[in-house]
Amino acid sequence: MNAADAPAPLLRVKDLTVEFRTMDGIVRAVDAVSFDIWPNETVGLVGESGCGKTVTGLSLLRLIPSPPGQIINGSIELEGLDLLSLDAGDMEKRRGSEIAMIFQEPMTSLNPVFTIGSQITEVLRRHRQLSQRQARELAASLLAKVSIPDAGRRLDDYPHQLSGGMRQRVMIAMALSCNPKLLVADEPTTALDVTTQAQVLDQMRELQNEFRMAVLLVTHDLGVVAETCQRALVMYCGSIVEAGKTEQLFSSPRHPYTAGLLASIPRIRAERIAELPVIPGRVPDPGNLPAGCRFAGRCSHVQSRCHQERPTLRSVNGNAVACHYPLGADI
Amino acid sequence: MNEFSSVAGARAVNRRNSIWRKVLRKFLADRTGVAGLAAVLVYFVAALGVWCGWWGTDWADLGGSKWEAVSAAHWFGTNIIGQDIFSRAIYATSTAFEVGVVVAVLATIIGGVLGAFAGFFAGSWIDELLLWAMNVLDAIPFYLFVAAVAYSLAGSPYAMHVAMITSFWIGTGRLVRGEVIKLRNMEYIEAAYAIGLSRFMIIFRHILPNTSHILLVQASIAFVSAIKAEVILSFLGIGIRDGMSWGLMIEESTKEVLAGFYNNFIAASLLMFGLVMAFNALSDALQDAMDPRKVA
Amino acid sequence: MNAEPLVQVRGLSKYFPIHGGLFRRVVAGLKAVDDVSFVIHAGRTLGLVGESGCGKSTLGRMLLRLQEPTAGQVLFAGEDLTRLDRRQMLAYRQRIQAVFQDPYGSLSPRRTVGQTVREPLDVHRVGTPGDRQQRVDELLAFVGLSAQAAHRYPHEFSGGQRQRIGIARALALNPQFLVADEPVSALDVSVQSQVLNLIVRLQRERGIALLFISHDLAVVQHVSDDIGVMYLGRLVEIAPAGQILTAPRHPYTEALISAVPQIGRRMHSRIVLGGEVPSARTPPSGCAFHPRCPRVMAVCRSVRPVLKKNGDEGSGSVACHLYP
Repeated sequence: MNAADAPAPLLRVKDLTVEFRTMDGIVRAVDAVSFDIWPNETVGLVGESGCGKTVTGLSLLRLIPSPPGQIINGSIELEGLDLLSLDAGDMEKRRGSEIAMIFQEPMTSLNPVFTIGSQITEVLRRHRQLSQRQARELAASLLAKVSIPDAGRRLDDYPHQLSGGMRQRVMIAMALSCNPKLLVADEPTTALDVTTQAQVLDQMRELQNEFRMAVLLVTHDLGVVAETCQRALVMYCGSIVEAGKTEQLFSSPRHPYTAGLLASIPRIRAERIAELPVIPGRVPDPGNLPAGCRFAGRCSHVQSRCHQERPTLRSVNGNAVACHYPLGADI
Repeated sequence: MNEFSSVAGARAVNRRNSIWRKVLRKFLADRTGVAGLAAVLVYFVAALGVWCGWWGTDWADLGGSKWEAVSAAHWFGTNIIGQDIFSRAIYATSTAFEVGVVVAVLATIIGGVLGAFAGFFAGSWIDELLLWAMNVLDAIPFYLFVAAVAYSLAGSPYAMHVAMITSFWIGTGRLVRGEVIKLRNMEYIEAAYAIGLSRFMIIFRHILPNTSHILLVQASIAFVSAIKAEVILSFLGIGIRDGMSWGLMIEESTKEVLAGFYNNFIAASLLMFGLVMAFNALSDALQDAMDPRKVA
Repeated sequence: MNAEPLVQVRGLSKYFPIHGGLFRRVVAGLKAVDDVSFVIHAGRTLGLVGESGCGKSTLGRMLLRLQEPTAGQVLFAGEDLTRLDRRQMLAYRQRIQAVFQDPYGSLSPRRTVGQTVREPLDVHRVGTPGDRQQRVDELLAFVGLSAQAAHRYPHEFSGGQRQRIGIARALALNPQFLVADEPVSALDVSVQSQVLNLIVRLQRERGIALLFISHDLAVVQHVSDDIGVMYLGRLVEIAPAGQILTAPRHPYTEALISAVPQIGRRMHSRIVLGGEVPSARTPPSGCAFHPRCPRVMAVCRSVRPVLKKNGDEGSGSVACHLYP
């Protein structure tokens, strides 16, 4: 499902800007980010560490630690309602029930001194009118849904008794417990082994179809995005530099950063190659960003205009690109 | 020892951009801490003057008559036998500083080294032995212990120091042991093994410097505890004998307050209170500034 | 390839005792590494892959003698390292070096980069202090850092730069054999490729034998001549890199390759294994992989397959009953 057959986006983020106060001054972690997510769609938000992808994900649930963080501009509309205009109590009600989140490290997201059963039922009873017994039954059925064998008995286990993959599934079960419309998954499989990652991603895809929810998958792993997401947003230094349909984005990237990133990933090939292509240099210091295009210092196609003028997102052959001189564009 | 003392701060300060510079910047942003530091420095100058013989030399002189009021000649008045209370209070400041510094430095070094050994060899007989020693020493009531040490050292002026160091290193030792148990599993320790460093060198080059935040904070706590203990011990008559201490002044004043003369008591208590408060403020600020989770 | 291999690992095992019962006696052994053998020639790279808990890191630590093996030998240039005492081992430490995983944990935060890189030279008293300083500058230049970096502290560097510092330290003594345990897994993609290229370059230019341990097959294949796959403490397959990736023989290798997310391939083409990696405390009978194996046979449940050389179908070895 995509833009063509849905009347309105589920989530509309506009000009989201988040700043952090640090010892070195104010750092703008997210700078005027705008994107839409349509119902039942999976969108990948990719970038390297420090690019602002996690902060963007947290902002959607208003989970930015404040202080030092603050959303200073923009709007986050979920089905037309601006989440940033809600008071704290209203937001709490929606968090978990309409918009849920899962994190990278399932061990630290679960409280080690409570059984997983009590943690899931707590979430259920906070958002729904359920008796203890009903909640427990529902919790067991949720665990069964995420393919945890012997779910009824597992409810009485403590987090440390489960493997990493199982813990992440428990987190998913908790996130799904109130039928959220949007699930923000921040690096959900990064801490897992590849074969477990494959299982969890498969699981998420099935559940997404069953629960008819949209997923924002925040990750550094382009391979995961390529295999699971319909659309992808590429972030660099706090801004989206390229967005588009995953296949098109990855087969013909327009932004030199996306292209460089794709080329530098080691892939399974029949023949060894002598040298991996690299993006030279490193990400600029967030407290001291260049004036023009933030990728200019590392870009192999850089021209003088890039150093002066910051490009904004515009449509080029189907992708949205923030680049003055996009690759392979006929202009 | 050189590696060890350098971590206490001096070395790295002149290196640009060091971790210490960040600590300093954070510390300077803490106003209470800076005020504490300033007050402690004033006390330190007072003590320094006594050591150098600039002032306070007349603390034992009978320069006035009994219980003189505050005047230009006797800033805090005089005591029951006509000694200048101001001189005595200043002299007592140097005593407090001397005890505080000696005890803090030695207790921290001993606690740091033994704690590091216990942590590094956690689970082995070395650790068992050190833990046993810590538990035994912990089990003896402090003032009883000081009395026993004072008795066994036959009135040595350092009996109090020995007793305090023997008790105060334990807390540091336990904290350092815990930290080292964590540190010894760090990859840079593995890397040091892989390079071929001996265990002894690993402890002194790689482990102790990384406990410096604990050592500095513990030293500041030991300093305050030592000063307070010195005052109490001197008051009880098992501390300072051949010198002057706030504790002795308070002891003297017990006779005076009954007669309605408070100068001695107020001078000693306020000075002690001021130093302890200032140093606590300083050590709190240090603790915040050096917390590795916030610094790195 | 008729010269004697630089590194020969023979039947290397590490059992961790499991205590139990009234007097905390040793009731069983957790087989973290179980009877692993392989060779690495000078100038060649063996990549070792497997999922967490498969024993690959323990294996690497045993080669560095950071952990004592329970059984087996590590022959380095003909000398059995496991028999050496601490003092004798010191001489070999110069020739065997390590690059570690965590760019934040592998450098002492209170020592300057120069001190860190110089430390191996100091320990082994190589050259005069002046020589050492010059060597530090050379090493930093080789890994792509400026000489000024020597005066700064690790926290001022990014993950990738720290990993370069770790590599410079490992190269300080001109080792003949390098063990790299997950050296790029903590790095971002664009930095990862820079460091991988550096590792490939130093290995080629200096003819170092390299053991490259990683969970990431794509990374391993980029640097390796041969690849070994471990599962629950055992080597299940070992073969030249090209062969193992295009024609994997062990079903686990096959599943591992297919599980790696790839750009330009949709998800449904993958083999998704059922279940989870069993605990090494209670390994399954027979072939340890049999409960998850899509091609399991009756014999797999009772008889443990041994690592056998492949016959006509290429070089390498596999431990699987499918290939009798």
